[in-house]
Amino acid sequence: MTEAALAFMRRLREGLEAGLDLPEAIARGATALPRDARATVERLLGRMEGHYTEDEWGFDEEFAELVEPFFGFLYDSWWRVHAEGAERVPAHGRALLAANHAGILPWDATMISVALLREHPLPRHPRFLVLDWAFELPWISTAIRRVGGVVASPYNALRLLEQDKLVAVFPEGVKGTGKPYSERYRLQRFGRGGFVEIALRAGAPIVPVAVVGSEEIYPKLADVPALARLIGAPFFPVTPTFPWLGPLGVVPLPSRWRIEFLDPIDTAAYGAEAAADRALVLELSERVRAAVQDALYVNLVRRGPAFM
Amino acid sequence: MPGRRVLITGVGSHIGTLLAEQLEADPDFEYLAGLDTRRPRRRLERAEWIEADIRDPEIARVIPRLEVDTLVHEQIVRQPGPGMSSRAMHDINVIGSLQLLAACERAPTIRTIVVRGSAGVYGAEPHAPQFFNEEMTRLFPLRTRFQRDVAEIENYFETYARRHAGVSCTMLRYQPAIGPSLDTQISRYLSQPACPTYLGFDPRIQLVHERDALHALVATVRRPVRGAVNVAGPGTIGLIRMIRLAGHPALPLAGPLFGPLTGAGRRLGLGSYSEDFRRLLRYGRGVDTTRLVEEVGFEPRYSTVGAVEDWVRAHPRGAAAA
Repeated sequence: MTEAALAFMRRLREGLEAGLDLPEAIARGATALPRDARATVERLLGRMEGHYTEDEWGFDEEFAELVEPFFGFLYDSWWRVHAEGAERVPAHGRALLAANHAGILPWDATMISVALLREHPLPRHPRFLVLDWAFELPWISTAIRRVGGVVASPYNALRLLEQDKLVAVFPEGVKGTGKPYSERYRLQRFGRGGFVEIALRAGAPIVPVAVVGSEEIYPKLADVPALARLIGAPFFPVTPTFPWLGPLGVVPLPSRWRIEFLDPIDTAAYGAEAAADRALVLELSERVRAAVQDALYVNLVRRGPAFM
Repeated sequence: MPGRRVLITGVGSHIGTLLAEQLEADPDFEYLAGLDTRRPRRRLERAEWIEADIRDPEIARVIPRLEVDTLVHEQIVRQPGPGMSSRAMHDINVIGSLQLLAACERAPTIRTIVVRGSAGVYGAEPHAPQFFNEEMTRLFPLRTRFQRDVAEIENYFETYARRHAGVSCTMLRYQPAIGPSLDTQISRYLSQPACPTYLGFDPRIQLVHERDALHALVATVRRPVRGAVNVAGPGTIGLIRMIRLAGHPALPLAGPLFGPLTGAGRRLGLGSYSEDFRRLLRYGRGVDTTRLVEEVGFEPRYSTVGAVEDWVRAHPRGAAAA
């Protein structure tokens, strides 16, 4: 490997000395690399010239593949995720994943993604709804949209489902991410059941998802509302590492995770008009909540200690 | 059935002249007039050029005499450009529209009004749904002067249509247009030796090709619908990708420095950005075009990416640096 890298550098320097542009010189140097590395370098060079595709949501499948090793590392080594029931997620057509939510950044959404890509017999990238204030942050906003995140808006969810996509939502919303450590794994209210309304309107089955482990990555010990207002965030967390360690405090703690996909709840049978039926919406919402809460307790016991 | 009689304001603009030519070629349109202080870009065969300023109350005497049934309001300035202060822009857009509607009050023959407005009315917002539909103008406060102006114009025309039950009024909300022969804020931006961006932001931009911009207007004149209609090419493109396709380097600037640095650039003659455009470069904007396709019956030929690629073909790398 080091030999290949040295050969690459030598050719790169020769190319530059011969008066080539930097991208051309890199392309020439890449011929000295093994095939895999060469393909990656060529792909990156193509991206530098704008040769990549994004769908209308800004999802960039190639980018998602390029960063896969990073999320794969988090999945395998950092959080040691154990996933179950991925085959219960429909392989085709629209479906809505409803999961519990914790952790200030949408790490749980990315781990659900990796779990499906690894464990599902017909893998596909889910799209996920992300709390909107994340879209004001530089880099984070761009990375989130490239791997399939969109602003948490019912219009987005409905349009994605109508395009027969797999959509992940976190019905707890900001109440979930902002809850203190002492209330971990106690599900918050599922809003007014907006996600059920959307599933009914689109006729998409709802797959409840229980994620254990995400609630320990940023143990929120206290909240400083004044600072939250100052930066326009919904809350300002104080964790054992944040803000004391500065940017390092953003590194999530390495808890052990379990993700379980539960049996889908069919909604197509009720028809699109049922979305206006408040009683039904609240009932289904409660059913999803109960399913996720039960699965959380079961998986908490199965997982054992959080960090061992 | 007698042919239609159409008046086009802003006939001296690029799209205004092209629209007149398109309608001239169709015998259904019996009479055409164009109102502008600027001469049409090319010699028009049939259309009559009326040299007048829409801000001038005099048009209230001129317009009723033409006995037109359709009014196409194309004289809305979308971007402050060379020789156009933001004050003059506001005057033309708001005062011009007011005078125009005052003239319409006296012209009972007018049954159809088509306004070429702007999707800028939605603004560019980090928390917005990825695709605005026509009902979403009230989701966010109006932040920029241009946004307020467009909202005000739309409001005038809406009120007018409500009070005159027999008049149908279409507000076309255009995403920025791009094309080989158009000189717009976006093409000037892409022609710079380096394109300033907000550090860490790569927003989704949605555009409409100049050909589709024209033909959407023609289609709406032929088949007017009531209310607002978004006009854009399908899909979106990331700003960074667009700059890379244009073959220029991106120049990322930290958020708080963007305004002052590009302001200094303007003084050096490197082009200027309106507040709307700066917000667009930071947060982007997409619109839903279901109404355009299903109700007006117009399907754009170029996607957003296709429109950018067509522009790049006409401006090969390096040639556009001037």
